[in-house]
Amino acid sequence: MHKIWLIIKREYLTRVRKKTFIISTLLFPLLYLLLIFGMGYIAKESVQNLKVAVIDSSGFFSADRLNRLNEADKSSTLTLITQHPEKVIADHKQEGFDGYIVIPSINWKTGSDSLFFKSNKSYGSSSTVTVEAKLNHIWDEIKNDSLQIDDSKQAILSASHIGLQSKNIKDDKANVKTAEGIGYICGILIYLILLIYGSQVMMGVMEEKTNRIAEVIVSSVKPFQMMLGKILGIGMVALTQFFLWIAFVFIIYNIGKFSGSGGMANQIVGGMQNMFASVDVPLILFCFGFYFLAGFFFYSSLYGAIGSAVNEDMREAQSLSFPITMLVIISIALMSSAIANPTSPVAVWASIIPFSSPIVMMARIPFGVPNTVPWWQLGLSMALLILGFIITVWFAGKIYRTGILMYGKKPSWKEMLRWAFRKN
Amino acid sequence: MNILELQNLKKYFATQKAVDDISLKVERGQIFGLLGPNGAGKTTLIRMITGIFYPDEGQIIFDGKKFDPSNDVAYIGYMPEERGLYKKMKIGEQTLYLAQLKGLSRKEALTKIKQWFIRFEMESWWNKKVEDLSKGMSQKLQFVTTVLHDPKLIILDEPFSGLDPVNSNLIKDEIFNLAKNGATVIFSTHRMEQVEEICDHIVLVNKGKKILDGTVKQIKQEFKENLFSIGAEQMPSLNGTAPFEIIGSKNHAHIVRIKEGNSPNDVLHYLLQQGVAIHSFNEILPSLNDIFIKLVEGTPTARQFQKI
Repeated sequence: MHKIWLIIKREYLTRVRKKTFIISTLLFPLLYLLLIFGMGYIAKESVQNLKVAVIDSSGFFSADRLNRLNEADKSSTLTLITQHPEKVIADHKQEGFDGYIVIPSINWKTGSDSLFFKSNKSYGSSSTVTVEAKLNHIWDEIKNDSLQIDDSKQAILSASHIGLQSKNIKDDKANVKTAEGIGYICGILIYLILLIYGSQVMMGVMEEKTNRIAEVIVSSVKPFQMMLGKILGIGMVALTQFFLWIAFVFIIYNIGKFSGSGGMANQIVGGMQNMFASVDVPLILFCFGFYFLAGFFFYSSLYGAIGSAVNEDMREAQSLSFPITMLVIISIALMSSAIANPTSPVAVWASIIPFSSPIVMMARIPFGVPNTVPWWQLGLSMALLILGFIITVWFAGKIYRTGILMYGKKPSWKEMLRWAFRKN
Repeated sequence: MNILELQNLKKYFATQKAVDDISLKVERGQIFGLLGPNGAGKTTLIRMITGIFYPDEGQIIFDGKKFDPSNDVAYIGYMPEERGLYKKMKIGEQTLYLAQLKGLSRKEALTKIKQWFIRFEMESWWNKKVEDLSKGMSQKLQFVTTVLHDPKLIILDEPFSGLDPVNSNLIKDEIFNLAKNGATVIFSTHRMEQVEEICDHIVLVNKGKKILDGTVKQIKQEFKENLFSIGAEQMPSLNGTAPFEIIGSKNHAHIVRIKEGNSPNDVLHYLLQQGVAIHSFNEILPSLNDIFIKLVEGTPTARQFQKI
């Protein structure tokens, strides 16, 4: 036991003291926020401001209407062509337009689904959709006028509607939107941890093997202790990083709460208070800790086994670890379906079967225990995952013991299975 | 008293009988040479002695008791042929870590590391990383980490590979020193000149079997071919009654083989009678290298895969 502790300490300290750990711990949340806001910004910026010539044969689209609309919404400019439309059709660039729309004489009752924005370039739907919206706005006015609906009636028409949300009568705090958000974040976090720290275990084992220190170490400790120490040490690194992130959120939350100023900060604090009120925070944190650690043991021992079996070549490691990585990616796909429908049979079974349960169960739990996720499912899922990681750790230990001292050609999965089932 | 006794040790792999029924004894304080060509089974044998592999059959007696890897490895220092250290770890920390893995307390380990670092003039290395060291320097460090915990049994697999003569001598002196202070050294190599110089007792293995066991002197006697070197101006022409035959001559040095049933005295007697002026008369003993080649030659250089 003492020796495992020494190994854990070394694995932990060498990683936590590295600059890359400190930087990634600080930068990851920032990058994540940047990514979310940046994507929105880029999407907005990439929409083009189109200049559109409108050649109208129906007589509904007056220059007056178009100008009023251009004033109200500057995302595109529509211009009615009354003279020499053939010039625009012949060369719209020359006339200063990005493209043109020919409106035939259409009936106000039927409209038309087959108008075209014609241009010598291709424009994405995000650009043309604003033009379409403008034309429809005018078309609505024309219909209202024709049906003699005045502004007050129009206001009623657009304002009154029926909204439908699902409500869990056993759990009046439950809020589907929040649950979806939290479930999604939990699932993605576990996914990232499994992939990032799983491959760290693999790289660490490969380092020991290629540096040829493995044989020096196994003459002092058992290979199994060596592997377990590495997995536990790296698991603690992941846990440390995670606690630091929680601490950041806590600090920011409290600063926001007590500074009390700024609409944005208030909004965030308010949003978080609502969120915390609608879910069982201690249970989610406990389950997160459990699925994070158990899932990590389950996958990282397999990654460790692969690291022990291959040689220096990174490509060998990648091809051999592909099936494992695939399991993690399949889990993420199952998670999306589980969030969309947390009580479907697929969601239930995916959250019980060990390989996908860390991600899928974590995505279901925020929907409410025991109403959406009955206690028996949670218990069974946890028990099976514990059994699962005991099996994978045992299996990996067997492969590790042989692999760590084997040099030469890359073994196949079949050979590795034979190592696992060989006596002593 | 034997520090180590192997009894009918066997270890078979899927395609090879790596160690096939080997028994041997290593006395306390000996420098013991474990020799053999590549792939003879030396590394497998050593891995069983260090507790890395379990033997399929046979027994290991360590220090008078049945070998118990989990406790006894603390008394063994092993420097494998395929050795290495963590490249990115500081040297002081790394040595401390390896010593603690061998069961030393932090305090003990620190004192011992300091002593060894001073002896090997390595004090300035403490905060450097292994990747900053040259090959010879890291070899020295590796040796220190192997012997730091005062093992009773030290196993060195090709300890001199990659070392310059100065550092080779430093390590060689240390090996003698450790043996003098009561440690037993098992020394695995295929460099015969070092074996003749260092080892008291040798065992030669080939294809998983022991083919030779004895002291260097015994073995040389056993394999001598009754060859003598005679320094003389002129050798007489020999007739059938001469007790020896001449094998070769070069610059007044003549190599002769004594015929069966004759002694060196008979040769001298014969030559004196012939009135030959003799400058020198020496027995030529085979070098271990010759014996090694003679015994191993004729077997395929690489071991063949076989069905077990």
